[in-house]
Amino acid sequence: MISRALVAAGVAVLMVFSSVGTYMYLGSRQSKVAAPAQLPTSGTPSPSALNLPGTLFLTQAGAIYSYSAGRFHQLTALGVGWTQLAPYPGGRLLAVKRTLLYSDVYILDRFGKVVRQLTHNTAAARNYDPSARHWSFYPRLSYNQKSIFMSYDKPKFGFDVPMSIWSMPVGGNISQGRLWSISIDYTGGDIQPLSLRTGLIYTKYSYGPDCSGLESQLWFTSAPEQAYGVRVCYPPPGAHGRPLTKAGEGCAQPALSPDGGTMAMICTYRTQVSYLNLASWNGKTLGARRTILRSQLVAQPTWAPDGTGIAYLAPAVQGAGFQLWWLPKAAYTPPTPSPSPVAPTPTPGVTPGPSPSPSPTPSSPPVVIKPVQITSNLGLDATSPIVWLP
Amino acid sequence: MAVIAVALSSAAGGFAYFMPAIQEAFDATSQVVVVPSPSPSPSISTGTTTPTTTHPPGAFTVLLLGSDNDAKFLGGVLTQSMIIIRFNPTTKKVTMLSIPRDLWVPLSTGGTNKIDGAYALGGAGAAIATVENNFGIKIDAYIWIGLAGLVNVINAIGGIDVVTQAPVFDDFYPYDIGPGNPYRYLRVAVMAGPQHLDGTHALEYVRSRHNDLQSDFGRSARQQVVLLALRAKAAQISAEDVPLLAAAMKGQIKTDMSLSRIATLLPLAGSIDIKNILQVVLLPPYTHGCGCPSGYVVPVWGAILPLVHQYFP
Repeated sequence: MISRALVAAGVAVLMVFSSVGTYMYLGSRQSKVAAPAQLPTSGTPSPSALNLPGTLFLTQAGAIYSYSAGRFHQLTALGVGWTQLAPYPGGRLLAVKRTLLYSDVYILDRFGKVVRQLTHNTAAARNYDPSARHWSFYPRLSYNQKSIFMSYDKPKFGFDVPMSIWSMPVGGNISQGRLWSISIDYTGGDIQPLSLRTGLIYTKYSYGPDCSGLESQLWFTSAPEQAYGVRVCYPPPGAHGRPLTKAGEGCAQPALSPDGGTMAMICTYRTQVSYLNLASWNGKTLGARRTILRSQLVAQPTWAPDGTGIAYLAPAVQGAGFQLWWLPKAAYTPPTPSPSPVAPTPTPGVTPGPSPSPSPTPSSPPVVIKPVQITSNLGLDATSPIVWLP
Repeated sequence: MAVIAVALSSAAGGFAYFMPAIQEAFDATSQVVVVPSPSPSPSISTGTTTPTTTHPPGAFTVLLLGSDNDAKFLGGVLTQSMIIIRFNPTTKKVTMLSIPRDLWVPLSTGGTNKIDGAYALGGAGAAIATVENNFGIKIDAYIWIGLAGLVNVINAIGGIDVVTQAPVFDDFYPYDIGPGNPYRYLRVAVMAGPQHLDGTHALEYVRSRHNDLQSDFGRSARQQVVLLALRAKAAQISAEDVPLLAAAMKGQIKTDMSLSRIATLLPLAGSIDIKNILQVVLLPPYTHGCGCPSGYVVPVWGAILPLVHQYFP
């Protein structure tokens, strides 16, 4: 005969287990929306990643990672503020180190070690004026490797802090720099310079020719500016270069293919999604746009050095951090036209939405090649360009 | 008997799990609001003359108030953000109208001033009455959120994805959340393009207004973008996340809606297609600057009221 006390004790133990168990069960059923991003080095990449040639360099949470042969390697410590990478000769990198009040451009070796600091944008320790510091962003080496272009907040005017495009000599400093763009008042300014043999492409923010809405355009200029200045709403006709894209397209993040014949860009068409567009480039003008990826949050298109495809960043699940994706060349190379194709009408720009892809009549149903997701559960910095070295 | 005891203890475990959320829900919801009668001042000659509209059947209108509630504002707090949101469950459409914080209007508490002072002078009731009197829109409920509340909520859901239409650089961003002198400034740099924002950077994006030609109007548009991103992310949360969210919101969110009303509205908010969300910002010609040192914004009621009647019938 089991005593009453023993039964009571057993029931008490059961009650404790059931109440604690219920509590823990409910806790385990929380969604993963707030789960922190994994470290790139802790994830298992897709097997397709092994097919990517060369080495990619990316940033997450202020740290730089290299990615080759399907493996990530952490090059710098977490939370240091490294972002916005660009290639530099000798397998090295240009990178921005961002702090709370300013940012500077550095040269790093391929292992993430600082080779040289190129800018000194802080102010004296006892100077508490926030505007005494400067930002440098989006560094890029010039096509002839003699100067470094960057976006730099000079001149600035009190509350108005527009970025302008500057170049400084390799081995020099920013005080020897030359101003290449006149930014528009109260827009954020000019960013993402891309130096080419024929001139400079960059992203300009303006309020458009009718001064209505703030958005971006790819802009082209072939000579530095002669004097400081700032403009209201939009550059006057014929001054300070010319636009390569229309105001309604909202294009930014230009990336030129290794053969120099195609420009990749991100366009938003005044929406909260982005499109990956390609356009032919003849050194002076862009051809008709082809939308390769639509209605996503695609960012930072980066060409493979051997031209076999484009890497980019985009979330796999909305709001869950940006992942690395790979788009093989076959996905965006037009199929071989039939003997009597209907010639697509060239369209210099697209308004108000993205243009459909040119549609030469295929001889057989096209094979749809989908983008390949390389990483999962990471939180890659979508505002930081990817570097892809051979 | 043992089975009943175990069932009861399981229920107790569930109750303990949701207890903080229940407590916070009772603290934050069903706030008592006294909406004062329209000001009797005969000098008011704006929207107050417009009769308040009636809703389409089932429609529900919320006034969303976002406040500076940092250490600089130990007394009444101003509303940096005022957004009227109309849900129409029949058509599954949502309309969002941002009211400029500097809009010069007759306040329900008396006198004429910037509309952001209504909440400071008379709380949510005064803010609701001021909006109703001037815009002729019947407000069914309000939701108030403080600065830290927005940061905490966005962090609690793991951040949001947005497309920032332009970079935001601000050398004089108020550095007033957290300990220390609340009158300090911070340099803010939010990059442009598609990106993931945590709570702090999302707040910087929606709060900065110094480096925007459209000033508060540009900021209003950014606030709507972040609201839509929040809505998209909130669709992924589960009931079991509620205690975590409640902890994040602690004392930073207030509403006069009942829990049952919120339970009715949440699935509706999640079911609405983003294409059916209309965003309205009162840019010129609906408003114009005063050209004066105090920098208030003058409403053009002849243009605003037809717009309001069109989108808030």
